[in-house]
Amino acid sequence: MKFILSSVRILNGRLFRNPVIVLAVLFGFSTITCLGADDKKKTSTKEQAAAFLDKITRLDASSIWPGINPDWFLKNVKANILKPVTVYPGEGTYFCAYSALTYLILQDDPLGYAKFVIDLYKDGKAVYKETLFNPPATVKYEAGRLNYKGIMDIHPADQMWYLTLADHYKGYLNIFNRKYNTGDEDSFWASANYAKHNRMARSLLYYHVEARGTDLFRPWIKDLFQYLDEKRKKGHVVLYINNRIFYKKNHVTIKLSVPTHFIVLEKISKVGDTITLIYWDNGAKTQMQLSPAFLKRILYGITVLTRPGNE
Amino acid sequence: MQNTILFMLIAASIISCSPKNISSRYYFQHEKVLDNIEESYKKIYQSNPFSIGFSSRDFKTISVTIKTDTLNYIYEFTVGESRLADTLTKYKLPAASVIALISQMQSIRCTWISNYNYYVDEKKQSLIFMSIKPVALKVPFKNAKYYILTYFAQPQYFDSEGRLLDRRKMKTLRKINGEIFKRINDKVCYTVSVRYR
Repeated sequence: MKFILSSVRILNGRLFRNPVIVLAVLFGFSTITCLGADDKKKTSTKEQAAAFLDKITRLDASSIWPGINPDWFLKNVKANILKPVTVYPGEGTYFCAYSALTYLILQDDPLGYAKFVIDLYKDGKAVYKETLFNPPATVKYEAGRLNYKGIMDIHPADQMWYLTLADHYKGYLNIFNRKYNTGDEDSFWASANYAKHNRMARSLLYYHVEARGTDLFRPWIKDLFQYLDEKRKKGHVVLYINNRIFYKKNHVTIKLSVPTHFIVLEKISKVGDTITLIYWDNGAKTQMQLSPAFLKRILYGITVLTRPGNE
Repeated sequence: MQNTILFMLIAASIISCSPKNISSRYYFQHEKVLDNIEESYKKIYQSNPFSIGFSSRDFKTISVTIKTDTLNYIYEFTVGESRLADTLTKYKLPAASVIALISQMQSIRCTWISNYNYYVDEKKQSLIFMSIKPVALKVPFKNAKYYILTYFAQPQYFDSEGRLLDRRKMKTLRKINGEIFKRINDKVCYTVSVRYR
């Protein structure tokens, strides 16, 4: 937008004195922007983020975050920037919603992410996209000390980031446990319902967010494959699924039919009656084949994230 | 008198089905086969990372996750299906050994086996995570409970009650998947959980 405005200023000031021509140019420029020429443009780039981080050769130990090893912290942030796909929510935690959004943030605004986590580490509070995050002392004490969470054990920046997000955003699932206590990363304190996820997406990402679905009822979409295929071509798609069915934990007679997990759709294809999904989940891309009926059964929410104007 | 006998029978059946009672002796009753499963899995895992779980109640459907550098592949098979061997071979897994492992898991109602990484003093360690669904742990109208075993590569630390401790903070209990584990021997621990993976 800044670019458009500055361009118009130049055009208006030096070349075009006629406001009609200026408006026509502006309209044409905006149309191009809206129609997708700008769709692949990222808010910031991996190179910008890497250049920013390269200037920070070392961080001092922080009294604000006593559990965080500064060398591992910096290494973790750099790894996230270079390979967003490996960003991991930790074994057994309720961080999947935050992790799915982090995967998208790292692709769209790696510089914003890097600046934010460095500021948060240095000052104990920081602003991301106009939102101030100031986690409580309990979160600051625990970040960097979470263990038995797989590779997240040595990813203190991820621990800080997830705990901060989980502390800041609240939904109805967090009503009975709003204040962090040790171990709450594995409890309802950290969980996210669908509306909370979408609220976070709107607040953290520079995308237009369109959501279909609820926590209890599946979205009514006639041809789910076609819908997902079309939406995936337009932007990013986050799926809200019933994980218990997805991984077919069919060991109990009565299953609670509610969604519990967020994954990012990467690719969808169909041959005959078999749908092949490639999705991002838990620090890796996974391929799975399933029937259209099964897909319909597990899917409770579809969040489509597109550049504003490209909805 | 009849009521007393009936009460005693019900009480005895409840006690005999309690997870605590099963946990304390289950490993030793099935030690050989459990250790065999762990050994085979560990050996095969070195050739290519994978995990196996039974996804149906009748222990006839398996879910195999194969990890590669670029993608994780999740496949579902019926036990004995020829597709299974073909797929394993495609990913350079020793089909005969994996099928034998599946058979052993089926025989003991082992629902899930995987490798689990954790870090001590920032050094990567791994353990083998196994969950078993013993028949006696099934209680009507309650969530299924699983007997979980963890096989560590190194001897672990325990408190006076036999609970697994965190090495870094010797007085802190170490939780895996949110559960406290108890000692079977220096390297093997157990717990009872509603989550099998």
